[in-house]
Amino acid sequence: MATNAIDQTRRMLSLVTYLRERPGARVGDVARAFGITEDELIADLDVLPLCGTSFRGGDLLDIDTDGDRIWWRNPDAVGSSTGAPLRLAADEATALLVAARAVATLPGLRESDRQALLRATAKLEAAAGEVAGASSRLSVTFESEGGVFADVDRAIAERRRLWLRYYSPARDQLTEREVDPIRLFAVGHTYMEAWCRLSEARRTFRLDRVAEIRLLDDPAEPPELELRDLSEGLVQPSAEDPEVVVEVGPGGRWVAEYYPHDSAEERPDGGLRITLRTPDPASLRRLALRLGGDGRIVSPPELADSARRAAGEALAAYGE
Amino acid sequence: MAIAKAERLMNLALCLLGTRRPLSKRELRGSIEAYIEAGTDDSFNRMFERDKDDLRELGLVIETVENLDGDIGYLARRDSNRLPPVELDAEEAAALGLAAKVWQQARLAGAASGALQKLRAAGMPLADDPYDHSALEPRIPAHEAAFEPLMLACRDRRPVTFEYRKANAARPETRHVEPWILECCRGHWYLAGWDRERRAERVFRLSRITGRVRSRSAAFTADVPDHVTVRETVERWAGEIATSTARIRLRTGAGYPLRARATAVQPAADGWDELEIPYGHGLDAWLVEFGPDVVVLEPAELRADVLERLRAVAKG
Repeated sequence: MATNAIDQTRRMLSLVTYLRERPGARVGDVARAFGITEDELIADLDVLPLCGTSFRGGDLLDIDTDGDRIWWRNPDAVGSSTGAPLRLAADEATALLVAARAVATLPGLRESDRQALLRATAKLEAAAGEVAGASSRLSVTFESEGGVFADVDRAIAERRRLWLRYYSPARDQLTEREVDPIRLFAVGHTYMEAWCRLSEARRTFRLDRVAEIRLLDDPAEPPELELRDLSEGLVQPSAEDPEVVVEVGPGGRWVAEYYPHDSAEERPDGGLRITLRTPDPASLRRLALRLGGDGRIVSPPELADSARRAAGEALAAYGE
Repeated sequence: MAIAKAERLMNLALCLLGTRRPLSKRELRGSIEAYIEAGTDDSFNRMFERDKDDLRELGLVIETVENLDGDIGYLARRDSNRLPPVELDAEEAAALGLAAKVWQQARLAGAASGALQKLRAAGMPLADDPYDHSALEPRIPAHEAAFEPLMLACRDRRPVTFEYRKANAARPETRHVEPWILECCRGHWYLAGWDRERRAERVFRLSRITGRVRSRSAAFTADVPDHVTVRETVERWAGEIATSTARIRLRTGAGYPLRARATAVQPAADGWDELEIPYGHGLDAWLVEFGPDVVVLEPAELRADVLERLRAVAKG
C-alpha cells in the first residue's frame, strides 16, 4: 500500500516522540516498532530535517542517520511538548477497538489471548476517552464454527494431520479425506487452508461445511508453499477456466454479489448479463435451478441442458 | 517541485504543538515554507483550511482563539493533545497487534497502524509476536465504495442520500437515511438507520448502493436507539428465522445441509428419507437447488412455490 500524506504525517509525529526517548536508536528496531520497512523509515527521516518550528528562528529537526543508527542532535529545539505522545483520533480508536472486539469473539482464540485482548480493549477505551464513543457505530462479527475451529487450531499447533468428512455443495456430496492443515483465516466465515492428500493439491475448506473432524496421530507434512495473498478475494478464477454466461432478471441480481465475475452488463429489464469463469461449470447447476424464473444459463449449452433435465426429473416426481 | 504535503502538515503540526501562545495565520504563513510558496491569499487560505481539517482528522485538537485586537490565532495545547497514561504489557501489545492487522480497508488499516504507533511512542512494549506462528488470520474486507462515506457519516451523525436497489427491484430508488451503525455480518456490510420517507428503521446492504453517497451537515430528526440489531434482520432475510415446519422427502445420501438442519429424519421406502425442516423465507429456492433429490410433501404453499420454480427452469 502506497503511503499517503495523512498516514505519513501521523507516523512522523509518533516517530518524533519515539526518537526523543531513544538516542542512537537502530534503524531496524525502529522500523519494526512502527511496522514499516526500513526504506519507508529512511523516507520519513529524509523529510523530518525539513520540519520544525521555524517561526522561532529556523529551528528545524536535526535528525540524521548513517543507515544504521538514528541521531537527533537538537531534541530541545522544537519545544518539549512535541515529545508527549499524542491522543488517539476518533478513527484510530475506532479502527483498533472494533477490530479488537471482533477478534475477541473468534471462537477458536486461545483463552489467554482473549483475556489479553479484553484487558487491552478496556485500557484503550479509557485512554481514548470521548473519541471511543464513535467506535460503537461500527461492528463486526465473525461466524462461530466453534468445535471444528478448536480441532483445526490444535492440529496446526501440534503439526498433526486431520481426517475430515467434508460437504461439497457443488456435488452435493460428503467426501472423506485426510488433509495437512496450513492455516486458518476468517473472512466472514472461517476457513482452513490445507494440503489435501486426496486431490494432492492445496484446498480451502469452509469450516461450517465440515460434517466430521478427527485429529490423527500422523504428522502433517504439507509441501513448502507460498501462502496465497487473500487480499484479492478467496476465489481467484484462472484465465484458463471455462466461461459461463448467466442472464438474470432483477430478482437474480444477487448472483453478481455472490459470484466473483469478469463482467456484469446492465440489461434493459433491470437485470444483468453476467460472465464468470469457473474450473467446473457443472457445479453451477445448483445456481441454475435456484434461479428459477429469475434467470437462465446462456452458455455453455451443456450446463443449461443439465439444469433443464434436472428440473424435468424433479417435476416427474410430483407427477408432472 | 511543490513541497510534499506530509512535510507541510508536519510543519504546521510542530508549530501548533510547539507554541505557548496562539499563532496568527500571518505568522504561520511566514514561517512555513510551503505556505510562503503558496502564491495568492486565496490559494493559501484554502490550503490552510484543508491542512487544519487533516490534522484534526489525525486527532489533533486545534483551538481557535481571538485576541483583544480581534485577530484569530491557533494553537494545539499540550494538555488537550496528550495521550493519557496507558500501560500495556507484552501480551496485550501482541493482542492489539493482531487486531490491527484485520482491516483490509485502507483508511481503517492506516488508522489502526497509526494508533499502534502512537501507543508505541507512548512506551508500549514490542513483544516477540506470538501470533507469527498462530494459525489464525482474521480479515475484515470492506471493498464497497459506499463504506468510507457511510462510516464518516455514522461517525459525524450526518444524514445521507444514496441510490439503493433492493434485491429484486428493476431500478434503484433514492433513499434519504439518518445513518446509525455499520455492521459486518458474514463478510458483508450493512447499514442500519432511519429512513426519512418511510419513517421507519431500515437495514441496507452496502453492495446494493449504486452511485455516490452524498452527506450533508444537518441534524437527525429521529432519536438514535441505544441498541440496533442488524444481525436479526439479516438472519430473517436469509430465512434462518423459521415460522413453521416443512415435511420433505430426500434421496438417501443426498442433501447433507438439509439433514444438518432437520428436526427429524425417518428412513422411508426405496432409497428415500423423510425429513422435517424449519420453514422460513427462501426455503423454496434452497430446496430447488437439490433438483430431483427433493420432493416437498407439505405445506401446500411451499410445494406450489417449488413447482413453479421447477417449471420455469424446465421451460428454459
